[in-house]
Amino acid sequence: MRSGAPAQQSGPEEVACAIELDGARRVYELPDLGHLLALHDVHLSVAPGQFVSIIGPSGCGKSTLLRLVAGLEAPDGGVISLGGRTPTQAAEAKLLGFVPQVPALLPWLSVLRNVTLPTRLNRRAARRGADRAETEELLRKAGLGDVMHQLPSQLSGGMRQRTAIVRALALRPEVLLLDEPFSALDEFTREALQELLLDLWGELEATVLFVTHSISEAVRLSDKVVVMAPKPGRIVEVVDIDLPRPRTQELLTSAEFHAYELKVRDLLRGAFEHGREPA
Amino acid sequence: MNPLPDQLPVNQSAALPPATSYPSPSVVRRRLLRRRLRVLHPAYWAPFAVMLVVLGLLWRLGAHRWPYLLPPLSDVGSELAGDPGFFLHNAWVTLREALLGLGIAFVCAFVIAVAVSELALARRAIMPVAVVLNVTPLVAIAPALVVAFGFGMVPKLVVTALICFFPILINTAVGLRSVPAPVLQVYRSIHASRWEMLRHLRIPGAMPYVFASLQIVLPLSVIGAVVAELNAAGSADGLGTTIQVASGRNNLDLVWAAILVLAVMGAVLLLAITVVQRRVLHWHDSHQSR
Repeated sequence: MRSGAPAQQSGPEEVACAIELDGARRVYELPDLGHLLALHDVHLSVAPGQFVSIIGPSGCGKSTLLRLVAGLEAPDGGVISLGGRTPTQAAEAKLLGFVPQVPALLPWLSVLRNVTLPTRLNRRAARRGADRAETEELLRKAGLGDVMHQLPSQLSGGMRQRTAIVRALALRPEVLLLDEPFSALDEFTREALQELLLDLWGELEATVLFVTHSISEAVRLSDKVVVMAPKPGRIVEVVDIDLPRPRTQELLTSAEFHAYELKVRDLLRGAFEHGREPA
Repeated sequence: MNPLPDQLPVNQSAALPPATSYPSPSVVRRRLLRRRLRVLHPAYWAPFAVMLVVLGLLWRLGAHRWPYLLPPLSDVGSELAGDPGFFLHNAWVTLREALLGLGIAFVCAFVIAVAVSELALARRAIMPVAVVLNVTPLVAIAPALVVAFGFGMVPKLVVTALICFFPILINTAVGLRSVPAPVLQVYRSIHASRWEMLRHLRIPGAMPYVFASLQIVLPLSVIGAVVAELNAAGSADGLGTTIQVASGRNNLDLVWAAILVLAVMGAVLLLAITVVQRRVLHWHDSHQSR
């Protein structure tokens, strides 16, 4: 099923780690003291080194799911495990790379220092990120070699988002979590960044959870697409994308690719209509 | 083949001119110098100069019409020129009180702002007291402090520090809380410690707020020092004391000379903080727009 490069050679040390969600549940208290069931009974199993997209209409809990895996919120029920660790333990060990919707760069630091700051914090974690030379190499690969000493305000939106991705990758994470990282970008920048992400993922051998709105983006990038529905937020289906990598332009215009897109679209439509039904 | 333009490596086409280009370094230097010297252009300074002349004329008119309202500017000027050492000495005394008081206020307010922004318990205990302190007219406290601490430096420092304390506290506390949520999420996902977040995210992010508060409290610090001096008349030196003594003797020239020195002092302080701010906050939006 896996057709990508990473994680196929099982070295002496497993590089990426698996993600398991077993009955994960998350409830938010509303201002009027009501309760919102943001995630209901989520079971998901991601093999080490897989690229998994999460797609669904807004309010379906996909960002909540990502925050749970990142250890930014605790589940109200169920178990989440990253290679046998809780999300908090994984964060403590610096196994996670998190890319939010906005670049979230520090405006007073240069691109290079923005990227290296996380590697210099939480030194108790045994894990070491990329060193200076490796970081500069990563920045060059991301097309940021010429601007690494500039401030974020001097960069275009696409460059800032690339910086945010490199910041996560410089940690050499085992699990890479991306929350709609390309949603604010134009189509061309988006495609270029998708390529970049796939290239760097190939080298990194990390397990990836990628939250997105875009069906073609999900199908293009992923080994698996998790389709979610709102009210309450839940997984309706996991679609295995059985397409070879690298996914060339011919493949992206092939009938097979479109069949996957249609399948995901149908599932989403069902999810959306269900979400609008009165409870 | 991928027909999409690959944007990442820069595509250098021979037919197209480069997107950014610079003239020779000597030309750049000359133009930068010219840009710096544009303050010498009349369009730059003429409006202010005209305003000064108008104000001077109005003053003259006022001084002529109501002699007890304003002394003639020439008398004020000769007062200043007659004994510049006297004014310099007293200005230094007042300036020292103002800056020392401000320094004390800054250290206290900054430490408390960190405590208040980090600990809900500290916030609930301290903020009500700080607010009450702020709404109390400190000018009214000054006489009591003189009674308590005597005619020395202490009451002046206390009044100045009290006046400067609250704006620094509020601005810094807000600034420390201003780090956007996604940034915090990124650094929480690597389990950065509280201290690391404070040191690398919150304090640098609070700097624009800190400087905004300094622009407010620098003039306030001079006010605090002068008010304290006015209440301890005849005690020591300082421009406030000078004004107190001179107005008691009906010496309007000396009063206005001292006021003028105070005004210039405040302006210089504000200029100094603006220069420092430009250096420290070069990354901030407010200094990026042209």
